[in-house]
Amino acid sequence: MMKILIAIGSKEYSKTTLQVGMWIAKVFNASVTIAYVGEKISSFGTGNIALTQENMEKWGLDIPGVTVLEWAFNYLADHKYFTPETVAAGFSKNTLVHGGKNRLELFLKGTFCENVKLILRRGNIVPELREEVAQGDYDITVIGGSKKRRMAHDLIQYIDSSICVVNHFIPFQKYRLLQTVDDSIGTAKALQYGRKIAKAFQTPVDLLTVSKKESFGPGYMNAHKNAIKAFKEVGIKAESHLKVGDPVEVILETATEKHLILMGMSHQNPIKKLFKGSKPVHVLNNCQCPIIIVK
Amino acid sequence: MQRNSNITSLIYWITQKQWLIIVAVISLILYLLPTPEGLTQSGYRIIIVALIAVTLIVTETLPLPGTAFVIIILEVFFGIGDANSVSKSFMNDAVFFIMGSLMLAVAIVRQGWDERIALGIIRVTGNKTHWVTFGFASVSAIISSFIGEHTVVAIMLPIALTLIRFTSRAGKNVKNLSANILFSIAYGSLIGSIGTPSGGGRNVILLNYWREFGMPDISYIQWMVHTYPLILIQIPILSWLLNKIFPPECKILDSGIRRLKRQVAVSEPLSVKKIGALGIFFMIFLGWVFLSDSVGLGIIALSGVVLYLITGMVTWDDLNKHVNWGVVILFGATISLGYQINHTGAAQWIVNNLISLGENVLLSFPILTDALVIIMTSIFANVLSSSATVAVLGPIALNLPGDTIHLGLITAIASAFGYLTAVAAPACTIIYTTGLVRSKDFLKVGLKMGIFSILLLIIYANIYWPLLR
Repeated sequence: MMKILIAIGSKEYSKTTLQVGMWIAKVFNASVTIAYVGEKISSFGTGNIALTQENMEKWGLDIPGVTVLEWAFNYLADHKYFTPETVAAGFSKNTLVHGGKNRLELFLKGTFCENVKLILRRGNIVPELREEVAQGDYDITVIGGSKKRRMAHDLIQYIDSSICVVNHFIPFQKYRLLQTVDDSIGTAKALQYGRKIAKAFQTPVDLLTVSKKESFGPGYMNAHKNAIKAFKEVGIKAESHLKVGDPVEVILETATEKHLILMGMSHQNPIKKLFKGSKPVHVLNNCQCPIIIVK
Repeated sequence: MQRNSNITSLIYWITQKQWLIIVAVISLILYLLPTPEGLTQSGYRIIIVALIAVTLIVTETLPLPGTAFVIIILEVFFGIGDANSVSKSFMNDAVFFIMGSLMLAVAIVRQGWDERIALGIIRVTGNKTHWVTFGFASVSAIISSFIGEHTVVAIMLPIALTLIRFTSRAGKNVKNLSANILFSIAYGSLIGSIGTPSGGGRNVILLNYWREFGMPDISYIQWMVHTYPLILIQIPILSWLLNKIFPPECKILDSGIRRLKRQVAVSEPLSVKKIGALGIFFMIFLGWVFLSDSVGLGIIALSGVVLYLITGMVTWDDLNKHVNWGVVILFGATISLGYQINHTGAAQWIVNNLISLGENVLLSFPILTDALVIIMTSIFANVLSSSATVAVLGPIALNLPGDTIHLGLITAIASAFGYLTAVAAPACTIIYTTGLVRSKDFLKVGLKMGIFSILLLIIYANIYWPLLR
């Protein structure tokens, strides 16, 4: 079974992330973990904070972050992602158990998947998600967009799962899938994801292959044709786009706010990526729509 | 792919440990450079260790005990001291006090005095918002002057949050009210923590430096006489400032107070156990006042812990779970660092250079020395912990020209001016984790409070303290 990690922040900004994350989870019939990562606190204060929070619990006050998880629980309950028994039992913060350093977790019974886990972590977002992904062996991490440009590189490079960034998501919008195709190894897996999503939502697909040269080599052409065929097999007619130019620029020009971009991860040297970036990093930093980068 | 994945892991490690790498490279270069004129080799090397220590503490690249071990190991490997002398400087009464103070915090919080304190504040202040916030600041300051800010915030925060929650449920917008009350607690605790030697680990570190360096020192009561008026001046000013910057949305907290009273009314009544716990604390206080000169503040704090353990008011498991041993080990190491900074002559060398750099202006105008010490300490206190600030800067300040009691006290007091950042003091960190105040709120109010406190301390120390001589 696939495993999906949805990273949420505050109630105000995470609704769309949760919405998109749960849609993807439903498409892949995946098990879901929703993680709230609270801000890092100084090591000098950890003992005192634990003591204060225990005292707060005595007064019936929630520890920071629990209210966000409660909000996530209510969202999932309202949208029938939980079994009726789980909804009836309600969100019980007392059942949050310690699952390692700076980590609390709560197991709940889901409708389309066996378990839904709610996690509360504290620390810097990328190291915490990296640790969570390594611990839970997740296939996709879903996260909201960030204004920090460095974040794109760190998420793609250091988190060992596919990444879905819910950038400028418009609820109730009918999205088109913009699947980028080339002869790299990343394309094959990205195509599998694209097929499933397109089939589940009957989403129109734009297949985009970009060549830096005027002519398209056999590798690119075969990959493009295979992709059209792959979508046809699941009953989706993909619109073909063969374009010439700088791949990042062309992808950004083609992508509209009505697209969900789906691309494979770059497999170039990590040192080069650190200094020069990669196609997925540049696209993620500049696109105005949600994007999935498949590893 | 495997090769790329290994390189990615290496790059990730480098990004996480970048400060460790940078400081290691800089330290290696400094180590290889010739020793500056007028400084002993050990003195030069302890300055390098101090640079490493400050960088690692500020960036938290290593866990706190890891940083402590780096300090101790380097002191021995750099030939600054042998293993025995370093370990002797590592453990002393100040470390006992920090350990005891962290344990006392757990023991005291467990006694459930918070309901009584809540009731006490409400009875005195009534339901007018500005009196309530003033009450929070005053009570936090007074209690923290005896038992340390972290204990006070652990006790006061639930009271404040309950009041905020009840007020917000009454349909009121409480953004400013929340910030006002939370800052009253955090800053009130910081202001109060200078009131007695037992108010904070840094005060005890300084008392120990006076004694270890063979300088004149002051008693518990004399310390209070020197510092308490400053607290009494700062509390109303803090309240005024907070009411200006975060004007509460409601002038009267009627329903919030009523519901808080109702919650407190259903809590456990004042039992014999609670009175006994208060009695033990009173004994500790008397011990600090009358016996600390002969047996040390740390030993008295530990005696109190033992009494709480004997009477079963706290368990060892509870203490062990909530005491941050990393903090204890780190403070031991920073105190050892401070001793070596003084012992190797590094402190004197820094002071000599400061004096000659200012073309002896520091000698002609002692008030400028005060300003320098207070500003430097305040800056350090906002990025480093207050105790680590005093441990490292204390020996330098005490070597400056002037009265060592005056210099020591202004260092200890200025180390409480950590108003600017959420990481400056545990009190600030704790209120920050509630999510009700933001980083920029600290800047908004902390900058004004910091500038005001610096100016006030310079004037106060130079007008009031000479009257006490």
